Amino acid sequence: MIGTILIGLSVAMLLFLLAAGLTLIFGMLGVINFAHGALYMLGAFVAFEVYNQTQSFCAALLLAPILIAFLGAVIEFFLLRPLYDRDHVEQLLMTFGLILILEEAVRLIWGLGYRDLPLPQGFDGSIPVMGSDVAVYRIFLLATGVAVGAGLFWLIERTRLGMVLRAAMSHPAMVRALGIRVDRVRTVVFALGAALAALAGAVAAPVLPVQVGMGFTIIVDCFVVVILGGLGNIRGAIAAAIFLGLLQAFGQHFFPAWIEVVTYTTLILVLLIRPQGLFSLSAGRKA
Amino acid sequence: MITGRFVSAVLFSILVPLLAVALGGAGDVGTQYLITLILIWSLFAIGFDLVFGVAGILSFGHAAFFGCGAYCYAILTLDYGMSGLPALALAVMLGSLLATLFGAIALRVNGVFVALTTLALAQLIHHLIEVKLKNITGGTDGLAGVPRPDLWGINFYDDWNYLVLVAGLFLLASLANAVIRHSPFGEVLRAVRQSETRAQQLGYDIRLYKVAAFGISGAYAGLAGGLLGALMMFVGPDMTRWTTSGDVLIMTVLGGRGTFAGPVLGVVLFETLKESASALSNHWYGVLGITFVLVTLFMPGGVASLGAAIFRRFWNKAEKMR
Repeated sequence: MIGTILIGLSVAMLLFLLAAGLTLIFGMLGVINFAHGALYMLGAFVAFEVYNQTQSFCAALLLAPILIAFLGAVIEFFLLRPLYDRDHVEQLLMTFGLILILEEAVRLIWGLGYRDLPLPQGFDGSIPVMGSDVAVYRIFLLATGVAVGAGLFWLIERTRLGMVLRAAMSHPAMVRALGIRVDRVRTVVFALGAALAALAGAVAAPVLPVQVGMGFTIIVDCFVVVILGGLGNIRGAIAAAIFLGLLQAFGQHFFPAWIEVVTYTTLILVLLIRPQGLFSLSAGRKA
Repeated sequence: MITGRFVSAVLFSILVPLLAVALGGAGDVGTQYLITLILIWSLFAIGFDLVFGVAGILSFGHAAFFGCGAYCYAILTLDYGMSGLPALALAVMLGSLLATLFGAIALRVNGVFVALTTLALAQLIHHLIEVKLKNITGGTDGLAGVPRPDLWGINFYDDWNYLVLVAGLFLLASLANAVIRHSPFGEVLRAVRQSETRAQQLGYDIRLYKVAAFGISGAYAGLAGGLLGALMMFVGPDMTRWTTSGDVLIMTVLGGRGTFAGPVLGVVLFETLKESASALSNHWYGVLGITFVLVTLFMPGGVASLGAAIFRRFWNKAEKMR
């Protein structure tokens, strides 16, 4: 029981890392980043490569987000910035095109097969928690999620950057008039979102097969989280990620053949009953 | 209303199948197959563009309508011994019905979230077909040996005959498309794309119009799916995969969304690029991705806009000369 809950929560953590980035980027840039899954996948591959070169999991965990954040900044600057004045659909098209390029780049560099990253030393055992054996790495995943989540909240709610960010989300013109370079804030937010995706990829690499298709598998779940959680709402994203993670973990336990069906049916029901999302208090945000 | 645009759309609808038949008649079996493939994907793309280019709604669910049309045709002909044309008609209806359902659900959210919702719905259908309905759909193996239609004793297993049949259907479907786009219904869809609020304030029930656009679009997708199943004599779960929705989107954007000729041009470009590039390297999707990104950045009107610009330049020159 407790094992299932912990597995659910660790899945929720991965979903949260991705959905938080998606939601942040959406809130700030108004862009649904279709390539978020591709960045996650790229993060996993970079982590694998760094680990292969250095044999250090720490280095992989640190370098993957930094490199992908840089890539994110480049993408935002050259590919998304020219499109802000156009329809939102254009930005979606752009990020969709990026998926094709990033996936092909990965195939070009790492080939078609999947890679395995071993569990880091000291994390490969399991410990008893309230009567059931839980893999140490699951707990590490969970702790990472909580730490990053807390850090993110601190950043957004308590720092000057966070203040600028929140202001720029709702009133970009006003913030620009106050002498703040909103363009740069956007680049920073996209880079941050990309870094979160890469971090998710890096921590997922030892427990999931690292392969080209991994990005798309998880991104659909993330879209479900973002829609369930209410759009552009980080607290909602946490709640929805935990909900979906637990649903999938318990589903794995009780109805393994029906997880996908239940996930998508939940989404359809929510859209029919509360199109603004389960966890948003105000009326749905229009895109 | 009969306008110049409507007349040129009708001319285009007649010329394309004529050109296809002429080129096919001159070419070998491989060429005939490629041309048939292009016509079928064009049917899919012009239907998709009714939702994307005309009404301005991005759907990532069209693979579901396309794939269900294909499976509908395959299952009815293989398991129930139905003959080709009625099975195709039912495929059209199923595609349309499913699309109406998708529209009714997904259009409860706004803007880009429609894309996400249709994607999730299409994934559900994909999962059902690939895993849950394995007994009927053949799971990941798909269904092989899908028959071509039989009609008036003509042998449609001959690629040339099948090309003529598909060209005939394209003619009808494209003419219908010309009428729909230039009807008051099409005008309202265009108004919805320009400004939903304005269309709503003018008293149109925009949700109804958008759902109807989905329904019509799904009919085209279902038809194309059924025809493709018959062409390849095979249907597989790849037809309902999200990449199929992606492909039709790429074709439409490359060719020029919202224009009559654009989707067809896009398909021609896509398929010929695929033929030539995949012979050169395995990474043709990467090349395609770069092309797609560049077109989105610098040529949002697609190839059709380029053609229109060149035509206008020459036209203006001719005017000046006079």
